Amino acid sequence: MVKTRTILMVEDDPADMRLIQRAFAKAEITAKVIRLTNGDDAVAYLDGQAPYDNRAAYPLPNLLILDLKLPRRNGFEVLQWLRSRRDGIRRMPVIMLTSSRHTVDINRAYDSGVNSYLAKPENTEGLLQVANAIKTYWLSLNEDPTLLGTGTYGK
Amino acid sequence: MASEQRAPGTILLVEDEPADARLLIRAFTRAGVLNPIKHLFRGDEALAFLEGINQYADRREHPLPILIILDLKLPGMSGLELIRWIHLQRELRRIPVLVLTGQKDDKFIEAAYDAGANSYLLKSFAEDEIDRVVNLINNYWLSLNESPLVVNRK
Repeated sequence: MVKTRTILMVEDDPADMRLIQRAFAKAEITAKVIRLTNGDDAVAYLDGQAPYDNRAAYPLPNLLILDLKLPRRNGFEVLQWLRSRRDGIRRMPVIMLTSSRHTVDINRAYDSGVNSYLAKPENTEGLLQVANAIKTYWLSLNEDPTLLGTGTYGK
Repeated sequence: MASEQRAPGTILLVEDEPADARLLIRAFTRAGVLNPIKHLFRGDEALAFLEGINQYADRREHPLPILIILDLKLPGMSGLELIRWIHLQRELRRIPVLVLTGQKDDKFIEAAYDAGANSYLLKSFAEDEIDRVVNLINNYWLSLNESPLVVNRK
């Protein structure tokens, strides 16, 4: 059985988004990729607010890829909002994909609960490498959590 | 000082099954990983290592790891309890934690992510399969991923 995977990508720069999408296509990532351009929309989507209230059309993603600098809510704020949820979506794997390599940003992302932090490569070759890593590691090797259970085992 | 910074960081492996640990360490060597691997068998020992107490008080001799790979079933303190503890510590909580276990129940996977695991991987048993997993860990966590800075205090 082939699972339908969904990636939610939040990126405000249209040129970056185009390059990432091209790399995803080249890496033959078959997951459905939903693109949003600001932090408020990402929260609305994850929360299932209108216009994203139909989960058949707007499924919960298996992976959230966040840029750091985003209009309205930034990447940190979206991540903190997600991790403080009481329901199971709080454990959704999140990757920061950003041009910042500042230690302060990297540390803050891990402190906020990011699963992984990737620096946006500047060339297409580097982006293809990132796309391939996302495919082989996060979409294949890694075990996703279910986003519905209580997750209180052993507590 | 500069050469010290360039030295590859330690990987902490917490695995109570000696055969599993041996296979993994061998696979890391085969993958060309130069990072020293500190292997501990018990959860409570890993806690002492991370906290820098008892025989691990000297951080120059026992530097903090840049990556933690742990099983869930551990004597002394379970993997889940250890992850929860790590995530209550300033700085330590930044270190990426990979669960590598035979447990494939959703309840363990959910609990591990809720505790703060960065990734959850299933143990493989065939040697070529172990090599594949270790190569992917190497390519992803030791190369592509940006590591946080964790200061060796004390």
